Amino acid sequence: MNARLDTFTYDDDIVRKFLWATLIWGLVGMLVGLIIAIQLPIPGANIAPYLTFGRLRPLHTNAVIFAFAGNAWFCGAYYSSQRLLKTRMWSDGLSKFHFWGWQAIIVAAALTLPLGFTQGKEYAELEWPIDIAIAVVWVAFAINYFVTLSKRRERHIYVAIWFYIASIVTVALLHIFNNLSVPVGPLKSYSLYAGVQDAFMQWWYGHNAVAFFLTTPFLGLMYYFMPKAADRPVFSYKLSILHFWTIVFMYIWAGPHHLHYTALPDWASTLGMLFSVMLWMPSWGGMVNGLLTLRGAWHKVTEDPILKFFVVAVTAYGMSTFEGPMLSVKSVNALAHYTDWVIAHVHTGALGWNGFLTFGMAYWLAPRLFQVKEMHSKKLMEWHFWLATFGILLYVVAIYAAGATQGLMWRAFDTTGRLQYPDFVETVMRLMPMYWVRVAGGSLYIAGLVIGIWNLYKTWAARPATYTEHEVQAAPLAAEYVDPHPTPVAAGAWARFTGAAWHRTWERMPIFFTVIVALAVVVASLFEILPTFLIKSNVPTIASVKPYSPLELAGRDIYIREGCFNCHSQMIRPFRFETERYGDYSKPGESVYDHPFLWGSRRLGPDLARIGGKYPDLWHVRHMYAPQEITQRSIMPAYPTLQTTPLDFDGIQKRVDAMVMLGVPYGDAVRDARGQAEAQAQAIAAGVEASGGPKGLADKEIVALVAYLQRLGRDLRTASTSAAVQATPHATSGPPLAAAGSVPR
Amino acid sequence: MKLSDVMGNAGLSVYAELALILFFLAFVVIVLRLFDPRARTLHDAASRMPLDDEHPQTPRSARRS
Repeated sequence: MNARLDTFTYDDDIVRKFLWATLIWGLVGMLVGLIIAIQLPIPGANIAPYLTFGRLRPLHTNAVIFAFAGNAWFCGAYYSSQRLLKTRMWSDGLSKFHFWGWQAIIVAAALTLPLGFTQGKEYAELEWPIDIAIAVVWVAFAINYFVTLSKRRERHIYVAIWFYIASIVTVALLHIFNNLSVPVGPLKSYSLYAGVQDAFMQWWYGHNAVAFFLTTPFLGLMYYFMPKAADRPVFSYKLSILHFWTIVFMYIWAGPHHLHYTALPDWASTLGMLFSVMLWMPSWGGMVNGLLTLRGAWHKVTEDPILKFFVVAVTAYGMSTFEGPMLSVKSVNALAHYTDWVIAHVHTGALGWNGFLTFGMAYWLAPRLFQVKEMHSKKLMEWHFWLATFGILLYVVAIYAAGATQGLMWRAFDTTGRLQYPDFVETVMRLMPMYWVRVAGGSLYIAGLVIGIWNLYKTWAARPATYTEHEVQAAPLAAEYVDPHPTPVAAGAWARFTGAAWHRTWERMPIFFTVIVALAVVVASLFEILPTFLIKSNVPTIASVKPYSPLELAGRDIYIREGCFNCHSQMIRPFRFETERYGDYSKPGESVYDHPFLWGSRRLGPDLARIGGKYPDLWHVRHMYAPQEITQRSIMPAYPTLQTTPLDFDGIQKRVDAMVMLGVPYGDAVRDARGQAEAQAQAIAAGVEASGGPKGLADKEIVALVAYLQRLGRDLRTASTSAAVQATPHATSGPPLAAAGSVPR
Repeated sequence: MKLSDVMGNAGLSVYAELALILFFLAFVVIVLRLFDPRARTLHDAASRMPLDDEHPQTPRSARRS
C-alpha cells in the first residue's frame, strides 16, 4: 500500500486577488446601476453622448454579471477546487494570467461601452477584439483547471467541481457561437446571423449565460461553502447529483422563453416554455438541499451573519427559479414581457442569490485568507445583511408593481373598445413613484456593500506582516485504483452491469465527464437551433423586404451605438392591444437582413417596428434634439450632438461590403454606397430645411438615423395583406405623442 | 436547390423524438444509479469532502485498507 505523503501548499494569493476584484467591480457595477436608475425619473441626468441610459445600461449588466459575479465565482472556485482536489493550481502563472486578463477585459468593457462600441446583443455587447481576448483568457483558465484536475490527489471529484466544469465548458461554447461576426473595423462588427436566427442564438446565449454564469458556478460555491459555514455535510449528496444532471440536461433548452409571441417559430417557443417549467423541480431540489444542510443548525443562523447571508441567498434562488418558470408560461409572459417585471426577476436573482452568496462567502473566506482570528466587526456584518435585505425588498416589490402596472395599462381597452392608455408615455409616468422606491432600495443595498468593503478592509488591515503558506500533506493518487468500499463482483452480465464498477471508473475520469457534459449541451443546442437555420419553412421570406439603403445602414449603426434597443423593441406581438397601438404584428421574414436583430427585450419607450412614415422627418430631427419639447413628459435622453457630429461617409462602403459578405443582396450599392448615401442624405436634409428645420444637416449623423427610422416597417406595407388597422383618433391635447395611434396605411 | 430545401424535405422531425427518448433514458439510468443502495457509502464519503479538506494528513488509501 502506498503510504508516501506529498507536501504542498495552496495558492491563496490568487483567491485574495479575486476577492478584492469582486468587491471593487461589484461596487462599480452597482453604482452604474444606481445612475441609470436615477436617469429614468430624471432624463436630464443623461449626458449625451457618453453617459446616456442606452450606453450605460450594458455597462451595468456586464459589470455585475461578468465582473462582480464572475470574479466571485473565480475567487470561490480557486479556493475550493484546490482543497477539494488536494493540490495547488497547476500553474500560478496561468492563474495570474487569468486574473489580470479578466480585469483587463473588464476595463476594456468599461471604456468601450460608454464610447458606443457595441455589438448590440444583450450581455454580448463587447466588440470582437475583446471577445477574442475573452476566449484567450478563458482557454488559459480552462487549461490550468483541467491540468490541475489531472494532478489531483483525491480520487472522487466532489459535486461542486462538476458544476464548475460544466460552467467552464458551456460558457466557452456559448461565447464563441453567439459572438461569431464579420469585423468591419477595429471595434465594429456584424453578427453572422440575422433576424430570427440571430434572436434564437442570442437568447440561447442570454439564457444560458444566466444558467452557466450565474447559476451553476454559484451552485458549486453553495455546495462547498454552505457545508463549510454550517459545519455539516450537504443534506443529500444524491440530490446534489440529481440536481446537477437535471440542470445540465434542461437549462440549455430554455432560451426561447425570451422570445414568446415574437417572430420565432411557435414550436421553438413552446419547447422553451416546457423545459423552463420542468426546470422548476431540479432548481427547487437544489434549494431544498441547500436549506436542509442547516438541519439541526438553525440556532446558528440567528447568531452567524454568514449563515444569514446564505439562507437569504438560497431562498432568493428558490424564488427566482419559481418565478422563471412562471414567466416562461406564455400567458404570463404575454403580460410580463417588455415590462419591468423581468427586471425585478433578474434583480431577485442577482442581488439575492449571487450577491448574498458572494457576501456570505467573502465573510467566511476573509479571516482565513487574511490569516486573522475573525472578521473585524460582526456588528457591521449584521448591518450589511439587514440594509441589503431591505434594499432588495424595496427594489423588487416596487419594480414588480411597476411591471404589472405597465403590462396591464398596455392591454387595457375602454368600454368603446379603444386603447384606454393610447399615449405610451402615460404608461411610463405611472411608474415614476416605483422608480424612486427602486433608487432608495438600490442605495440601501449599495450602502450595505460599502459597509461590507470597509469591514473587509479593516480585517485585511489586521493581517500578519507576511502570510504563511500552510503546508498540507496528502497521499498522491495510487497508480492502481483500490476501491475503498469494494462490492463483491457477482456472476452474470446483468449483475456486473448493476454492480456498476464501470460507473465508478467513469466517475474517476474528469475528461470523460467533461465530454459527456459538453455532449449533452451541444446535442440539445443543435436540436433546438439548427431547424431555424436548415429548414426553410421556419423563416418564410417576404418578397417585398429589401436590404437597407447604405444611409439607412449607417443610421442603423447609430441606433445600435446609442443602445436604442435597450428601451425600444422592434417586435410587435400578435395581440390586439399591440397591433392597435403599433400596427400589424411582426413577421419572421421582415428581419432577414438584420445583422444583428434588434427586437429588443424591454419597452421603456414605444415599439419602433413600424415607426417609418408615421411622423415627418422634421419631427424626428426635433425629437432627437430635445424629446421633451415634442412629448412633454418623455423620459428619453436628448441627443443634440447627432446634429453636429459629421457622418462617417467614408466607412459606409466597407459596411455595405461586409453585409454583402453575409449574403445581403445589395444591388448597385455594392459599387457606389457612398454616392447613394450622400444623395439620400441631401434629399432628407433638403426636406427638413424646406419644412422649417435646421439647415446643413446633409453630412450629419442625424440624417442617417432619420433615414433608418423612416424605413422601419415600410417594406411590408406594400405587400401587407392583413386587415388594415383603424387609426384611432386620439383627442389628446398637446403635441403628438410617440406611440399614439397606429401606422397610417 | 439550397441546403435548407434539402433539409426541409428530408423528414428529420422524427429525430426530435429520438433525442427526447435518448435524453430520458440517460436520465433514468442516472436516477437508478443514484438510488442504488450500494452507492450509499460512496455518497456519504463524498459529502464529507468539503469538511475534511483543511488538514488531510492521513494517507487515505493506507487508512482505509
